Amino acid sequence: MKLHHVATALLFTATMAIASPEIGKPAPAFTLTDSNGKSHSLSDFKGKFVVLEWVNFGCPFVKKFYDSGEMQKLQAAHTGKDVVWLSICSSAEGKQGHHTPAELQAKLESIGYKGTGYLIDADGTVGKSYNARTTPEMFVINPEGVLIYKGAIDDKPSTDSADIASARNFVAAALGEATSGQAVTTAETKPYGCSVKY
Amino acid sequence: MPGNPTFCYSADPCYRRLMSKSWLAILAVTIILCGTPSASVAQVVDGKTLVQAELISSASAIAPGETFYVGLKLTMAPGWHTYWEYSGDAGIPTKIKWDLPPGFGAGPIEWPIPKAKLEPGDIEVYGYSGEVVLLIAIQPPADLTPGTEVTLRGVASWLVCEEICIPGSAKVEITLPVAATAVASAAGKIIADWQTRVPSAEPPPYNVTWSKSGDSLTARVRSVAGVENVRFFPLPSGNQSVGHPRVSGSGDGASTISVTAASPLRGVIAAVVNGQDRSWLVVAEPGIAETAETSSDASLGVIATLPPLWQALLFGFLGGIILNLMPCVLPVISLKVFGFIRQAGDDPRQIFLHGLAFSSGIFFWFLGLGAVIVALKASGTEVTWAFQFQNPMFILVIAAVVFVFALNLCGVFELTLPGKAVGTMSDLSGKEGFSGSFFQGVFATLLATPCTGPFLGTALGFAFSQPGGVVMAMFGSIALGMASPYLLLSARPGWMKFLPKPGAWMEKLKQFMAFPLFATLLWLLSILGGQKGIDGILWTAAFLLSLGLAVWIYGAFCGPLSSVRTRVLAIACALGVALGGGWFFIGSGFLTATAQSGAVSKDGIPWQPFSQALVDELLAEGKPVFIDFTADWCITCKFNERTAINTPAVRALIAELGVVPIKADWTNSNPEITAALKAFGRVGVPFYVIYPAGRANEPITLPELLTESIVIEALKMSR
Repeated sequence: MKLHHVATALLFTATMAIASPEIGKPAPAFTLTDSNGKSHSLSDFKGKFVVLEWVNFGCPFVKKFYDSGEMQKLQAAHTGKDVVWLSICSSAEGKQGHHTPAELQAKLESIGYKGTGYLIDADGTVGKSYNARTTPEMFVINPEGVLIYKGAIDDKPSTDSADIASARNFVAAALGEATSGQAVTTAETKPYGCSVKY
Repeated sequence: MPGNPTFCYSADPCYRRLMSKSWLAILAVTIILCGTPSASVAQVVDGKTLVQAELISSASAIAPGETFYVGLKLTMAPGWHTYWEYSGDAGIPTKIKWDLPPGFGAGPIEWPIPKAKLEPGDIEVYGYSGEVVLLIAIQPPADLTPGTEVTLRGVASWLVCEEICIPGSAKVEITLPVAATAVASAAGKIIADWQTRVPSAEPPPYNVTWSKSGDSLTARVRSVAGVENVRFFPLPSGNQSVGHPRVSGSGDGASTISVTAASPLRGVIAAVVNGQDRSWLVVAEPGIAETAETSSDASLGVIATLPPLWQALLFGFLGGIILNLMPCVLPVISLKVFGFIRQAGDDPRQIFLHGLAFSSGIFFWFLGLGAVIVALKASGTEVTWAFQFQNPMFILVIAAVVFVFALNLCGVFELTLPGKAVGTMSDLSGKEGFSGSFFQGVFATLLATPCTGPFLGTALGFAFSQPGGVVMAMFGSIALGMASPYLLLSARPGWMKFLPKPGAWMEKLKQFMAFPLFATLLWLLSILGGQKGIDGILWTAAFLLSLGLAVWIYGAFCGPLSSVRTRVLAIACALGVALGGGWFFIGSGFLTATAQSGAVSKDGIPWQPFSQALVDELLAEGKPVFIDFTADWCITCKFNERTAINTPAVRALIAELGVVPIKADWTNSNPEITAALKAFGRVGVPFYVIYPAGRANEPITLPELLTESIVIEALKMSR
């Protein structure tokens, strides 16, 4: 019995370390530097919708969206006055997906990146505070700072870009519903992708 | 002549040599076909072969109509892995897209036990490294011609990862000759070996009991000698979120599996049994228990847990409290309220004694019921909860009592005990009060029995499988729960202050309270309608009419001031009318009325009536089945049906998935349905079971209070 209690306590503390943000609750705050060296905080964007896209350019699931131009299309369609699109890379130094700001500037230029900013989270703290486990993994935060969507980018887990056209894009759906004042019908899905390279 | 065998003529001596050479060639080709596997295809990245894929077959020659197994063998470079049926936090499982000759069918991939891999950032994935053979059953058509050849083709696609991930795919194929009888191949041994690592659909040969603690499902795997290294791999459905299962030893040889997920959760339990790695498909769901040893025909893949006694008693207590809120009790609360108000301002001791009398009425009923059940269990009769309500006569009697009571509240007659003088009013009201309170207690519990609420379901199921003493304790705790608010209020008369003061309004309130009773009467009549049809209702109503007349005669002529002669005459008339009405309307009318059979389903779901034979047949055909155990007198059932089952979304899903809906209508007693309920450890309704397609020993049971999303999620799991 005692061992069981100790084990439970340890398990509890372990799970405390990796908390998972909840739908309907305020999204965890963060401050990160982008590829141009500028610092951004989540609070800077209060009053706007914020889309967080966990990214790793080497991951085949991310490549599915970037090589086909679909992610850039998504970014362009949604960044506007009221929507901010932040790509966050939590790859640790030396691991796939991690680039220096100089490398990033060239890369973002060459792929036609249309998001608001690419944030570097090399020590993984922000990734862990959001319990980001895959790339891509998407979060949508409303203008009041409350998390309204977390999970997969769409409903076809594969590396084949031909699947994008027939898939239901959860981010577009969430943004569409939230901006027109409706409740988000699919607020939480299981994300798919490569593991985040902490 | 050597060098040009094709130009030998049959008369030539070289023909014989050609033939022998041809035979040699044929022999060689045959050996090659049987001996060597089909070509393997490699995924090569940057000059390094990451994955080699090939198809192997359990049969070197297949027979028409005879199922055999094909294995997709994946050989991975060291350090690289591919994924299991549920990949975990990241990755995607291997897939095969088949291109089979006409008439051939391929089953789903049967997955051997994976390994769990923890990656930085608390990411856990499930998959294979080194080598794995994924098994697929292939069914050839019966009209194949022996002597021909068939080629099975497929495109296998996977994700292989080390530090980084690379998707891969390969066109794999295997060509097999057709023979009259199947011939096992050398590769058959490899396939058989991997088959032992595929989870079995049978229950594990040792005790597994699941329970819920917080939002974790925990299972204690009590070890039997030779069972080691227990692991659990989840198979969540759709968007079901699941945490990382953890197994801990608890020092007494048992292991505890803990996983954060909503129940039910499908998964695989793996363990090394007597040196061999074995695994079982399970559904993690807390509920009523039967241990693996005693249930040889266990339809549950995982044995659910018996709640500990104190928990069951607590639930019984809480259930008892909640009974006060059930739709079938609420109208009677009006009577209780009235009683308390009447007593407000009286001697505090009196009030408490009233509360006690009321509570003893409740106890009397529950303990009496418990005693009857214990007695019936001993006599071996089939005993089930709310069995009283399956008897139309019983409902008729209750309806008559409710009606008379309502008339009393309306003021049609007054209940006065004969022989009491007006001067001993306090005594009278006291005595009246006690027996009245006692009776109200009994009445309230009587009406509560059909409403098996969420707490009661588990507690009752527990009680019925227990020895007599426990049954009595269980019923006692329910009675205590139901009585506690009243005991409390009557013990603390100070809180009576908060009850309104008596006055002229009481009479109006008393009359108003008749209406909830009339509503209860309507409900009882609707049950009777289900059991005895329109005719049954009409005869009952006619009887009630005569009863009402009788009661009015009594009330109009039997006042405290009327003479003895008038009184006797009035009572005689009243009795005559009542008995006459009873004999005529009930005797020859009611008893012979029958409900129309085969009620038309108005809700669009094509319900089929329950029969065990039908269910067995459908399960043998591998069809998904949804059974709704319900009864007309069960309000919770009707509520669930209206709000969670008969909805457009559920209707559409049932049609889309080809689920066969079956309604087990328990309004009247039905031994088949009773037996079916008992097999699941249940003694009452509502109860819902979904048998997934082809997995008849992994039924999904739903909770007693349903929401549409629970039903939809469970139906999706039945694919």
